[in-house]
Amino acid sequence: MTLAPVTTTRRPSTKGRRVVPRSTLTKGSGLALGIAVLWFSILVLIPLAVVVGTALAGGLPQFWNTLTNPQTLAAILLTLGEAGLVTALNVVMGTIIAFVLVRDSFPGRRLLEIIIDVPFALPTIVAGLVLLGLYGPRSPIGIDVANTRSAVFLAFAFVTLPFVVRAVQPVLQELDPEVEQAARSLGASGRQTLFRVVLPALAPAIAAGAALSFARAVSEYGSLVLISGNLALRTEVTSVRILTYIEGGQGAQAAAVATVILIVALIVIVALDLLQRRIARRG
Amino acid sequence: MSIEIEGINKSFGSFVALENIDLSIPTGKLTALLGPSGGGKSTLLRIIAGLETADSGRVLIEGVDATKLPPQKRNVGFVFQHYAAFKHMTVAKNVAFGLEIRKRPKDEIRERVDELLALVHLSQFSHRLPSQLSGGQRQRMALARALAVEPTVLLLDEPFGALDAQVRKELRTWLRRLHDEVHVTTVFVTHDQEEALEVADDIVVISQGRVEQIGSPDEVYDHPVNPFVMKFLGPTTLFDGSIVRPHDVDVFSSSVAGAVPLKAREVQRVGHEVRLTAGPVAEGDTTTVVLTRAHYDELGVKAGDDVWLRLAPGASAVEPDPTAPEPDPSEDPLGESVVSPG
Amino acid sequence: MGSRGWKHTQRWIAILYVALLVAWPVLLVFWNTFADGLEPIIETFTDPYVLNALRLTAVAAFWSVLLNTLFGVTVSILLVRYEFPGKRLLNALVDLPLSVSPIVVGLSIVLVYSTTGGLFGEPLERAGIQVLFSTPAIVLATTFVALPLVIREVVPVLQEVGTDQEQAARSLGANTVQTFRRITLPAIRWGLTYGVVLCLARSIGEFGAVKVVSGNLIGRTQTATLMVEQLYYDFDQEKAFAIASLLALISIITIIAVSLLRTRAEAKEPS
Repeated sequence: MTLAPVTTTRRPSTKGRRVVPRSTLTKGSGLALGIAVLWFSILVLIPLAVVVGTALAGGLPQFWNTLTNPQTLAAILLTLGEAGLVTALNVVMGTIIAFVLVRDSFPGRRLLEIIIDVPFALPTIVAGLVLLGLYGPRSPIGIDVANTRSAVFLAFAFVTLPFVVRAVQPVLQELDPEVEQAARSLGASGRQTLFRVVLPALAPAIAAGAALSFARAVSEYGSLVLISGNLALRTEVTSVRILTYIEGGQGAQAAAVATVILIVALIVIVALDLLQRRIARRG
Repeated sequence: MSIEIEGINKSFGSFVALENIDLSIPTGKLTALLGPSGGGKSTLLRIIAGLETADSGRVLIEGVDATKLPPQKRNVGFVFQHYAAFKHMTVAKNVAFGLEIRKRPKDEIRERVDELLALVHLSQFSHRLPSQLSGGQRQRMALARALAVEPTVLLLDEPFGALDAQVRKELRTWLRRLHDEVHVTTVFVTHDQEEALEVADDIVVISQGRVEQIGSPDEVYDHPVNPFVMKFLGPTTLFDGSIVRPHDVDVFSSSVAGAVPLKAREVQRVGHEVRLTAGPVAEGDTTTVVLTRAHYDELGVKAGDDVWLRLAPGASAVEPDPTAPEPDPSEDPLGESVVSPG
Repeated sequence: MGSRGWKHTQRWIAILYVALLVAWPVLLVFWNTFADGLEPIIETFTDPYVLNALRLTAVAAFWSVLLNTLFGVTVSILLVRYEFPGKRLLNALVDLPLSVSPIVVGLSIVLVYSTTGGLFGEPLERAGIQVLFSTPAIVLATTFVALPLVIREVVPVLQEVGTDQEQAARSLGANTVQTFRRITLPAIRWGLTYGVVLCLARSIGEFGAVKVVSGNLIGRTQTATLMVEQLYYDFDQEKAFAIASLLALISIITIIAVSLLRTRAEAKEPS
């Protein structure tokens, strides 16, 4: 599963620029592109644009009022805050896990790899049940986080587990061992080599994984529904808030909050694109 | 002696990479470890650097037993074939790395980096990333980086192997001049005999995990101790039951004392030289002689003529050893060893 | 020299974290499902409403995989083998569904296909086609969320394979379709398979978007995931767990399949 940034750009050449043609489309491929873009617009772009349009159609004052509504504001802050914390946790744990997968070997390592991918493939509602079983009211080990902020944190941590790991793993795999040997021969200890040479080389991959992790957490719904209790002002996340607006027939307000989330998604995508270029430039 | 190697053995599984190596690397000189791929020279270099550990034996650097020391404590500079550049750091930061690790004051670091970049002619690239440099420039950066910490010994593992022929030749000369300026004990590994002959003060010929011969370039070329060394160091041909150099055989168009009468079989012009292959009338081993164009024109012989061949006085001749390994022909792309079977 | 000690510590931190966060909870769900014996499970999977929900999930997943595979392969080839204005933008936008909340996806579909004021909804209603609160909306929602998955797997493989073989085929007289069928497709088959498998898993598992667009009508527009939620709220835990276990099992089998396929692919084509 590829969670590493996907790049379709060319690497800048150092000896004179290679001329990239404006368009190499043929009749057939041009048509294919047209149909593909049309389909993509109908399925994705237009509906999302309509969301933004609906949000703004109600007028800016209403847009602003919706966002500053205490319940909505609480939901947005809770979501961004917990997503940020979980992303920070993932940066550390994800990197550690990637190191263990790539540089360690022990019986059951393969199993570990498979388990890490489970949150990515598991239906979110099932994830909710899964977490509820061990960390809810019927917990066999007595830990009950249901209806608390910790439930939100837990659900986020569960669904975003694979992102940093899978972004870092391939890069770590491809790292030239001679670069680390060079650092050693220059007098660096293991720790110094790790912090001055290896981690900086991994930084763009870690950042890409973190971006995806953050975006995923912010959009999460299904895994939270059962365990967080969706308590207004306490454990309600933005997705739940939007759903409440929808079920109440308040389309414009729902669209307003949705637009905020879309902006977050767009920022993440731009960040990922820039990171791809960074990686390509380093060579 | 800068480096003493005593009784080093190293195996990878059932493959014996080095067998009982005893060697002394002279201080301040440029020594080449020369031999075919897989012969053990890179392994030996890495054992000296501490990047590999030997199964048995000792490595002494400046009299100190370094066998158990990790690489960062040995104060050896190492240059890799594929540069091993720190891709996320600028050229200047790369070179400064060793000094920053040793926590030298910033001014000192800056001065030293400038000094080294000037030495390797990379001053104007100090703020570039390695990905923006050519292969030759990256290798010069790697050299500056290794020299920055004033190592006791400089080790280079096939440093020019990843570069084009032209750049390789330039950097070869450049390395020699650098060494003459800096005088650090330098050991470099190569499979290119021309490189070793041109650059090194001493050559250690290593093959199949064993040292075949140690000596100056002239010594190993003119007085090889066995057929392997002779064949590896330069072109050879079979004459009168011995292995000799093709240009050490004199050709005459009429009989002279001590010359063997043969028939000229084939004449091949290759650039500025002429290769004349001659053999006995009956079936038998042929000898290929290399002459200058001028000399050949003077002789006036052609295929089918009778010729008389005699080994030049003082030329080296080695008894062929039927059990000795042949150098790998894929290491000899220019076909310089015009050896005929035997 | 605590590096060996640290390596051990790292290993155990990783193992414990994953075990406590994922492994144990998942195993517990399976345990709870079988805790009361096989009867409740049989009861669940003979319930007509459940079967209907599973059928609906299957239909949605089928269309999602089909449409996204066609779209995915086409776009992958366009992105990797061709140049055109806006390419970089398209490449970035294609990732959009991965970062958007499923609720927002649902909302967007509701707004567009609403019969009162919806951009597409109004004309479709006049044509007598119902989208919202019916199967088509569920298919749209599912297809939306799973869109990028095939592309993200195929693009890197296409890039690695390179154009040499395709150019050789062209020079030997093959046209576009032949080149695609005989050269390109076989070359990307493993990447394509992973992508399809992940797309399938995602489609089966979609919850939030489907909840918004389907109206969640029991027996008519409930998918398996929606049914799990409803059963849980109705205190019918056994049935909920049974279906949840089935879905979990399918996704785990998916991952194992992907993992095995990857090993197969790497063994066959050493780089």
